Amino acid sequence: MASIELDDVCLHFRVRQKRRVTLKEYLLHRLYRRSVNPIMEIRALDHIHLSLRDGDRVGIIGHNGAGKSTLLRLLAGVYPPTSGRRRVEGQISSLFDLTLGFEMESTGWDNISYRAYLQGETPRSIAAKRREIADFSELGEFLHMPVRYYSAGMLVRLAFAIATAFHPEILLIDEVLGVGDLAFQQKAKARLGQWINQARLLVVVSHDTDSLADMCTTGIWMEKGKVRQMGPMRSVIAAYTHSILQPARAA
Amino acid sequence: MIAYFQSIWKFRHFWWSLVKLDLRTRYRRSMLGIGWSLLHPVCMTVILCVVFHKLFRLDLVDYAPHVFSGLAVWQYILTCTLQGCHAFFQAEHYIRQTSMPLAIFPLRTVLGATFHLLIALSLVVAMLAVLAVGGWRPWHPMGVLFAVPGLGLLFVFCWSLAVIAGTFTVFFHDVHHLAEVGFQMLFYASPIMYQSSLLAEHGLNWLLQVNPIVCVMRLIREPLLTSTLPSGAAFFHALVLVTVLGACASVLLARIQKRLIFHL
Repeated sequence: MASIELDDVCLHFRVRQKRRVTLKEYLLHRLYRRSVNPIMEIRALDHIHLSLRDGDRVGIIGHNGAGKSTLLRLLAGVYPPTSGRRRVEGQISSLFDLTLGFEMESTGWDNISYRAYLQGETPRSIAAKRREIADFSELGEFLHMPVRYYSAGMLVRLAFAIATAFHPEILLIDEVLGVGDLAFQQKAKARLGQWINQARLLVVVSHDTDSLADMCTTGIWMEKGKVRQMGPMRSVIAAYTHSILQPARAA
Repeated sequence: MIAYFQSIWKFRHFWWSLVKLDLRTRYRRSMLGIGWSLLHPVCMTVILCVVFHKLFRLDLVDYAPHVFSGLAVWQYILTCTLQGCHAFFQAEHYIRQTSMPLAIFPLRTVLGATFHLLIALSLVVAMLAVLAVGGWRPWHPMGVLFAVPGLGLLFVFCWSLAVIAGTFTVFFHDVHHLAEVGFQMLFYASPIMYQSSLLAEHGLNWLLQVNPIVCVMRLIREPLLTSTLPSGAAFFHALVLVTVLGACASVLLARIQKRLIFHL
């Protein structure tokens, strides 16, 4: 039974305008530190309410910097909320920035283990799935190479194969699928499509509205850290595209 | 607290495979293999033996095991602290991917270093055994067993240092450099190249008492070299020190568990 509950969640980043302080500077200039290197506060997520259940397939859209990826990372537990409550039940598997979670100097085979261990798998459960992951990724001999030499498309094939192999209850994907070639995207969509029957929870961030319309049932439109609209995927997409095209037409 | 240990255990395959990866990466493309990590303490021991033997007419049969065992433990503490500085930065790409107990990253550093420590210490034991068989120096294998509790304390001591060093480095970038300078000074204030009796003779006994390294190092060196169990007081001192340091590290970890991500 997987579920995600966000109750009035805010997330604020406090960023220093200049570079980091050194201990020496901190001790020497402690008194006027604030004026020299002020802290900027950014409201990345602003009073978000969310309640997702088994079988929900959610697509998140919005402008760059609207808080889509941040929301996904908060769901994954990477960012703790500044205020409000986050409650997540179920095994999470996440697919974020592709350079994350790979040991670049290790081979594809080794990375299958590392990433799967990171999801809480054991050597035994991995042994049963290694072949399947390798087959799905279609990387063949490349799996013996360090992943440093992989293209972005190859990385996403491997990362997606691992993330979905162990049937996580919750899958979070941050606009990486578009990097793969057409054949892979079809394959990935087909695999995610199977999930409908298995009642898994899927949250996808993407700019590819056509794919979202195919994959997702519920849509969330993020704007400046807030949920601007939430509802059936297709109507949210329609409202979003309308809002973008409208000013363009007016001009 | 128990939940925290459970989550560390849950990720055991993950950090253990990273430790193995670190060791493999370190020895790849290296003809000398494991000997490479021993190069530093062995070379230092040889040069110190040559110089100190000439200068102070020291008895090498006593001096060589003393220096070598001291350097092995010292190198361990130094490595754990200096590499510990980067423990969290090095793991940034994992921390940004999943939420997990941060304690595992200093653990990764310390476990890797422990491997080298154990190799160096087995060489010390081999040296002592050879000297004993040759009849130059009395020695009993029981000493190895007596050193085990000390090794356990040393492990926790170094893990705590790695946590503290790693945390401070995230907030202040010059900690690695400061630690290098500090440890260089500490090296000369510790009875590694010289016997602790030398300090006592010159009225510097207080230096031994305030130096935390001495407190822990004694528990490993004494049993190994003299085959005797360290005194209860020595154990007690080390236990108090390690408990306090371990508590500091745990408090620090609990505080940064949810905040570290914003500072990476």
